[in-house]
Parts: sequence; structure tokens; C-alpha cells
Amino acid sequence: MKRSKRDKKKTKNTKNTKLSLFQKPDTKFFKPCPLSGKDAPVIDYKNIKLLKRYLSDSGRILPSRVTSVSLKKQKELSRSIKRARLLALI
Amino acid sequence: MHNYEHTIVTKQDLSETQTKKVVNKYEDLIKANSGEIIKTEEWGLRNFSHLIKKNKKGFYFHFKFKGSGKVIEELEKAENIDESLIRYLTVRVKEHDLKTNYFEKKIL
Repeated sequence: MKRSKRDKKKTKNTKNTKLSLFQKPDTKFFKPCPLSGKDAPVIDYKNIKLLKRYLSDSGRILPSRVTSVSLKKQKELSRSIKRARLLALI
Repeated sequence: MHNYEHTIVTKQDLSETQTKKVVNKYEDLIKANSGEIIKTEEWGLRNFSHLIKKNKKGFYFHFKFKGSGKVIEELEKAENIDESLIRYLTVRVKEHDLKTNYFEKKIL
């Protein structure tokens, strides 16, 4: 059992190891913004379901580096979250 | 002329006739100041996410209207004195979204 587990780990590691510095990584680091694009949802202070996705458990706004929201949309988001807070919706 | 969205939150202990009075009062105020009401929504009694002046719940009413900035001046002047209100919010929008109602009650 132990051996098989180790073997699995080894195979995983080989995927991410780089042979040279100039080799392109297999895994993607960049995530596209979920709120911009064609079929993106509308950011609105009434759309509580959407806003709650971008809040922590204690109700704080999540940073865009975690959620990968673009700068423009993050500004819109934070504005509408603050509006919803005023009306005690969130 | 601009498009505005206006939401008011009234206290919980108002009766139906009283809430209707409050809504009619502000609708008349908008009309009196040459505003044009496009839609009024009733979101009903909702729980607050946090206490506001020891209130736990409130009735929500939402107006979508067209008008000049003077309407809002008059509205907020009246709302600041009104004791049956807890909060209000005015937002200027480019276009009214009349299709989606986020607070519609689901019919079982």
C-alpha cells in the first residue's frame, strides 16, 4: 500500500517539475475574469445571490487576487456590495 | 431627465393601510415634481442582515422612475423627517431593467 501511494505522488510531481527555466508550465496560472465577457452576469445591488459569492464567511469583500475579477468589475462589485449593505440585504 | 431607482425601507409594525399610505405619499411626491413613475415593486417583509436601530425586519418598496435631480432633493428632504422609514437609497441608472425582479416570490 505504502509503495503505491508513493508512486502516485511521484507521478504527480513529475508533471509540475521543470527541466529548464524556459520551459512553459503545464498548469495554467491565469484565470479569466468570471464577471466580464459575453454571458457574464449583471452586477447589481439587488442581485444578492451573485454578491454573496464574492464575500467571505464574515461578510467582508474578497480581494480580486483570490477571485480573479478584473479591476473594472471589482470596482463595480464593491460599489454594489456597499449599496446592498446599506439596505441590510447582505 | 435621468433614470433613477429608489428603495425605501419602512418599519415592521405598520399595518397594510399604513404602508400603502407611505407608498402613495412618495409616489405623489414624485409626480408632483414632474417625475414619471415607470414601475413600483413590493419586496415585502424581509429580515435585515443586521440590526438597524433595534429593528429586525422591514417592508421594502422599490420605485423606478424618470425625472430631474430636483425630485430626489424633495424626496430625501421628506424622507429625512419621516419616522416610519428606516433607510432609503437612490441610484441613478442608465437604463431601467424591467425584466428581472430579484425579489419576486416563487409560486409553489
